[in-house]
Amino acid sequence: MRRGFRREIDALDEVFRFLEGFVAEAAIDDRAAFTINLVVEELFTNMVRHNTGGEASIEIGIERVGDCLQLELTDSGVERFDPASVPVPPVDAGIDQRRPGGLGLYLVQTMVDDVKYEYEYETQRMRVSVTKRLES
Amino acid sequence: MFEITRDDDGRVHLHGRFDAAQIASAKEVLSLVDDSCVVDFAGLSYISSAGLGLLFATQKRLTDQGRALTLTHLNPHIREVFRIAGFDNIFEIDE
Repeated sequence: MRRGFRREIDALDEVFRFLEGFVAEAAIDDRAAFTINLVVEELFTNMVRHNTGGEASIEIGIERVGDCLQLELTDSGVERFDPASVPVPPVDAGIDQRRPGGLGLYLVQTMVDDVKYEYEYETQRMRVSVTKRLES
Repeated sequence: MFEITRDDDGRVHLHGRFDAAQIASAKEVLSLVDDSCVVDFAGLSYISSAGLGLLFATQKRLTDQGRALTLTHLNPHIREVFRIAGFDNIFEIDE
């Protein structure tokens, strides 16, 4: 399944409905469904907030390949983003050593099996591909 | 659909999906919390980093004043997200 979504935080409802359709069709369990929702929300909202010069829509693709889920978010007309530039939050620290924010990409990277960022300079297209292995 | 309410005992109740589009309404209620209280997740099915961030900011503000939020009735998926985020060090969570 693949679809474009408005570059707005308010488009999240439509994004979740799209994912619900996939989850029902692909018979995904509750735990994996929760993870898919969270991963897509974090990546989508990052694109909306940080890729401000991008085209009107962000494309989301999702499919089940055997015992894996493959997710892909594509954003065009944007600057290159280096995920390595995002600091890892100090999750072992107490409240005095922590600040709000910075958890989104950390959650994504921790909850899935693989995250790959690609960037095409010619088209200024950024693609994030995610693999999540399903539990048998 | 997301809803955040406060009952007569001051307990905060979360319902539905706490995603990035719900921050404004959640902030309206949580910004008024000025004493220790319980946040009841019984009706909440989902939370993302946006909701975590707002709860964290509220907890930080309260602990600076010697007060704190206690969280209860987290479903297993939400509980796992709190654990990954390292929020076991930040909140008292009733199991």
